[in-house]
Amino acid sequence: MTDEYQVKVTVNGRIRESRVEARWLLADYLRHDLGLTGTHIGCEQGVCGACTVLLDGRTARSCLHFAVAVDGSDIRTVEDLADLDELHPIQEMFHRKHALQCGFCTPGFLLTTVELLERNADPDEATIRETLMNNVCRCTGYANIVDAVAEAAVELRRGHRA
Amino acid sequence: MSSDRQGAVGHGAVGQSVLRREDDYLLRGQGRFVDDLPAPINTLHLAFVLSPYAHARILSIDVSEARALDGVVDVLTGPDLAALVKPIAAQIELPGYHLNSRNVLAVDEVRFAGEAVAVVVAESHYLAEDGIELVQVDYEPLPVVVKIDEATDPAAPQVNPTVPGNVYYEGRFKTDGVAAGFDAAAHVISEDFRSNRVTAVPIEPRGCLAVPEQAGNLVFYSSTQIHHLLRTALAEFLDVSESTLRVVVPDVGGGFGIKAALYPEEFVCAALALRLRQPVKWIQDRYGALLTDVHARDNRYRVEAAVDDHGIVLALKAEIRTNGGAYSALPFGCTLETTGGARMIVGPYRIEEYEYTATAVATHTAPVLAYRGVAQPVCFMAIEGIMDRIARRLELDPAEVRLRNMVPTSELPWTNVVGVRYDTGSFIESLNQAMEMAKYDEFRARQATQGRLVDGKYRGIGICSFTEVSGTGAPGWRARGLTRLPGFDSGTVKVEPTGKVTAFVSHAHSGQGHFTTFAQVVADELGARLEDVTVFEGDTAAGPYGTNTFASRSAVTGGGALVRASEKARLKLARIAAFMLESTPEDIVVSDGQMYVAGVPSRALSFQEVAETAYAMNTFDLPEGESFGIEETDFYDPPLVTMANATHIAQVAVDAGDGTVDIEGYTVVHDCGRIINPMIVDGQVMGGVAQGIGEALMEEFVYDPDGQVRTATLADYLLPSSVDVPNFQIAHIESPSIDAVGGFKGVGEGGVIGAVPALVNAVADALFDLDVNVNTKPLRPALLSGLIREAGG
Repeated sequence: MTDEYQVKVTVNGRIRESRVEARWLLADYLRHDLGLTGTHIGCEQGVCGACTVLLDGRTARSCLHFAVAVDGSDIRTVEDLADLDELHPIQEMFHRKHALQCGFCTPGFLLTTVELLERNADPDEATIRETLMNNVCRCTGYANIVDAVAEAAVELRRGHRA
Repeated sequence: MSSDRQGAVGHGAVGQSVLRREDDYLLRGQGRFVDDLPAPINTLHLAFVLSPYAHARILSIDVSEARALDGVVDVLTGPDLAALVKPIAAQIELPGYHLNSRNVLAVDEVRFAGEAVAVVVAESHYLAEDGIELVQVDYEPLPVVVKIDEATDPAAPQVNPTVPGNVYYEGRFKTDGVAAGFDAAAHVISEDFRSNRVTAVPIEPRGCLAVPEQAGNLVFYSSTQIHHLLRTALAEFLDVSESTLRVVVPDVGGGFGIKAALYPEEFVCAALALRLRQPVKWIQDRYGALLTDVHARDNRYRVEAAVDDHGIVLALKAEIRTNGGAYSALPFGCTLETTGGARMIVGPYRIEEYEYTATAVATHTAPVLAYRGVAQPVCFMAIEGIMDRIARRLELDPAEVRLRNMVPTSELPWTNVVGVRYDTGSFIESLNQAMEMAKYDEFRARQATQGRLVDGKYRGIGICSFTEVSGTGAPGWRARGLTRLPGFDSGTVKVEPTGKVTAFVSHAHSGQGHFTTFAQVVADELGARLEDVTVFEGDTAAGPYGTNTFASRSAVTGGGALVRASEKARLKLARIAAFMLESTPEDIVVSDGQMYVAGVPSRALSFQEVAETAYAMNTFDLPEGESFGIEETDFYDPPLVTMANATHIAQVAVDAGDGTVDIEGYTVVHDCGRIINPMIVDGQVMGGVAQGIGEALMEEFVYDPDGQVRTATLADYLLPSSVDVPNFQIAHIESPSIDAVGGFKGVGEGGVIGAVPALVNAVADALFDLDVNVNTKPLRPALLSGLIREAGG
């Protein structure tokens, strides 16, 4: 058994304190210690983007960070986007535009989109496509995701919460 | 009202782009993929020791150090597992097929890089991974053969002792008039096409969780497409009662055919859970996925067409070779691509004289099985490539050559040269419509006036018109030697006491939206409200047997079964309603969740009121002879195959400097018969095209001469991203099947089947003036820039 360390992070607005092994990946910590299984692991090679979370507001591959290394950080996962009654406007547009099929890569795409639209309220198609290169989807062929992001930007500009 | 259509149905749920029920929970991150399932706290975790050699003798395996590691419960090797699991083998009944089997962990010899030689059982996934680092395996490397052309070289090493000369299978077929066709030909057009080895790469790797329950039963959760077939195979090869096994499919993060294989890890996981009397879990990593998931498309097609002066194909010869890898994988066997390509290559064309030799060879590479499109992307790359070559030779337009050879709709139903019936379709119509949408004639006119090279880019347009095999029934599998593969699927429709409708179907989704589409089918056929229907699937304990979800089956076989079960349930509702309304069943209309005597909708009974009678929850008695409850099951085995069709047209720009390919336009006109949900059909098409773009332009497994996989990460095995896939124009023609119940045809594979040939042909067309031969894929920049340079372009 390798050494354990105390980690204190804010996850989806809640302060979480845990003892974790030094080698424990952030993705495994979120999934298996905190039960936030919406963050998926697709490659552990930093390529596919399924494990994307927001780490201090920026997209990060949670398979490429150790949990101990993000001590003190603020982390946002897919579970934070919707409330009990309503989906986040980005999620709602993914639904309306059929921008997901199996749904495995979807949480990563949603968080990439959150970051994009927080920084650029009115991205053009080329910007959206370049940004979505962060993530791989094997089901949809991307066109509906690109549409959903563009439409979500419109919705958010109309004054929905970010 | 005629009795066979008793109860007006057709509320119009089918045919609507109903938004998916699956989305809300998936978007919230509440999907339950196999690694997300709450595993019991005492769950043990597996990690496999993979062979670094493609071919080697296992001299010894020292597990002592690994076994001594704190947290490691056990380490097992091939002989240990051989005591628990029989050798697994795909039984194909074809003359000339050599049965071969494998142990779930290699015994004595490894035959491909990545074959598992030992398994570590530990208290956590991390500890299991630690354990595999400590397993010491002493290998003696042996000679290796990896290439399809070298497999049958007399000097090649023998891959499998029961496969003489490394030929798993060789099949031949010939009609009587082939020689006459070639004698009469004005032209003989031939080409040698080669296809890259690829795989599906679902973003969720494979995995399973085996949980022993009371009375020695085992619940087996697996990221599989074939839960019933898996359960039968587990029973057979573990030698346990099938009745004690329950296979459950949680959410599956993409399958695309590769999860329709039966894998050694599944047998190991189940066997160890039973042996250790403890839950056992295995989650694959991406490295293991790229090495051990079944591969596909490592094929070679030599095709010769006898053609008359008008471009009509008089006869066709195909010599097909497929690389089956090191073992014939279950359940379909290494002949899947071989017989598939041989039987499908004639496509929408009137080719009545045909000869093939189809060979599956063994090499020291990963086993090959199903990946979306099975054989069709390659056999249509071949026949569509031949159509383009006929056009070039005869100076005709490629579209014109196709139109002259196609079977016109007026001649359908048509039985093709290998005995496959095309009941309905739209070959010519789909091509014409796609040309119109793609502004094909304008594109050609521009090429004629401006030339192909404009602004440093060669521009070309490529067509693929194809048939898509879907919904194969038992006769279709038998024709290909798959006598142990059933063909039918089942559906059960229940009307609950509250009037709500529960449907079970013997399928398992991996992103297709079954909870939505099957509810649409049941709602219409039963006469229920869409919102009252809930669909369940992917659980062997929840409904009757079926053949499950692969090869564009679900709409045809699941849809057909649910149509039939719904009709039975509707007839029972009508009988009870008639009794309650003092009418006759023939006069009862079942519509929108209500039943009434035709013409008297004001005196309607709700599903709940009728169901309460069926469940004895009111004061009505059941009609004489009627059983309690409303729960009807039926099975549906479709015809030989159910044939869909489509045309894809791709417009590309090939950079004259660096050989990169931009897709500047992409058009699909698709005909999958009666459409259940157009939005979902479009999604299937677009996703398939994206995979076809990967296969045509970038994806490739590269094996070095020692059998090492040079592309075992996603940084090396390139997948299309959002900048590689264009926007699409998609249109549908609906030619409902007259052979298949419900009129549905499959749609899952058409996207990839059409995209690969259309893109290859478009690139070839772009480089037309350079007189280079584009007969291979993937068309990566290095290949194309090399061709351009050599041609002096």
